[in-house]
Amino acid sequence: MSHAGTIDHHHDATTSTGIPNKKLFMWAFLASDCMFFGALISTHLIYRLHSPPGSPVVSKIFSIELTSFSTFILLMSSLLMALAVNSLQKGLVKSTRHNLLGTIFFGLIFLGCQVYEFNHFVHEKDLTLSNSIFGSTFYTLTGTHGCHVAIGVLWLVLMYVRSFKPADPSRPWLARAFVHFFLFVITTVAGMATVLGLVHALHEHEPLVEFAGHNLLAIGTTIVGLTLLTWFGFSRQPVEFGEANAIDVESMGLYWHFVDIVWIVIFTVVYLLEYL
Amino acid sequence: MDAKTSTPAAHAPHATGHHPSKFHTFVQIAMILSVITGIEIVIVYLPFAKWLVVSLLVVLSAVKFLLVIFYFMHLKWDKVFCTILFFIGLVLAMGTVAALLALFGAEASIPLSAAL
Repeated sequence: MSHAGTIDHHHDATTSTGIPNKKLFMWAFLASDCMFFGALISTHLIYRLHSPPGSPVVSKIFSIELTSFSTFILLMSSLLMALAVNSLQKGLVKSTRHNLLGTIFFGLIFLGCQVYEFNHFVHEKDLTLSNSIFGSTFYTLTGTHGCHVAIGVLWLVLMYVRSFKPADPSRPWLARAFVHFFLFVITTVAGMATVLGLVHALHEHEPLVEFAGHNLLAIGTTIVGLTLLTWFGFSRQPVEFGEANAIDVESMGLYWHFVDIVWIVIFTVVYLLEYL
Repeated sequence: MDAKTSTPAAHAPHATGHHPSKFHTFVQIAMILSVITGIEIVIVYLPFAKWLVVSLLVVLSAVKFLLVIFYFMHLKWDKVFCTILFFIGLVLAMGTVAALLALFGAEASIPLSAAL
């Protein structure tokens, strides 16, 4: 592991541009992704500009409270991501892990809100992907953004698991990393199913005992999974992951912040403007 | 080649001192972003002229956007080429959005079904 604070994380004299190649690649990718989202946003706006007759009254469909909450959550996840990068640039692996876990948690809350929102729109507001042009452009745009968030969460989980790679190359790690990763995925899916089931139960005024009975498998899997993940997280052996890997976390952070800035635009253009 | 394989000589100017902590800067930026988001939500319910509200929303979103890319994404501290590279894509995207909106916003582009 390198000594904390000895690496210049903003300049790399060994490349012709002075910029680490991973960072340069990520900025080039994000520039192209700007155009991708630009096309989706303009398509949505064009169809909102000339809504066909019979289009839904959008301000009666949206829930400004839920969307504002999602926006706040995503902004806070960006803060944690920035702190994760900052921690690793100082060689603080444990702090980096905590911030990565926080970012994953907030990312999952955002995704949970989106799943709830889509479910609510389809079943209670009768807004589907194919029954109106607004539905088509709205679900395509926000769904693509949601896919970006999901990919970001997956990347964060992989980085978190990677942070446990032992410094001693003779120690077996690959099998343990696979188990750690799949445990994370299974716990996440079970946890989200539990939370969404709980929200549905509260919405339908279903007794909690009945909810627990219907979701016993998901609740049990979540509890066991969280216990095992905590056990995995208490590894005290020296790890390879350190300040030299800050560029990897920073590149991932750039992607995560990009997802955040796209949502800043979507929140204003797609949601807030409908209330005028 | 990335930072992992960089030679110590390449980092000589920074080898003796610690980087200043950005923790407080990041927390302050996050608070500002939250406050701006709150202001945006309140603005849409205020009885202002539509053009004024739209202008305010655009300005506030642009401020949030710039704060995230320059502070959280480190453009403020990185080489200016990263900013140029990203803004090439951003300007092209904004140009595309503006051109399409101008094109489809023209009177001749209004679909007959929408004009009815």
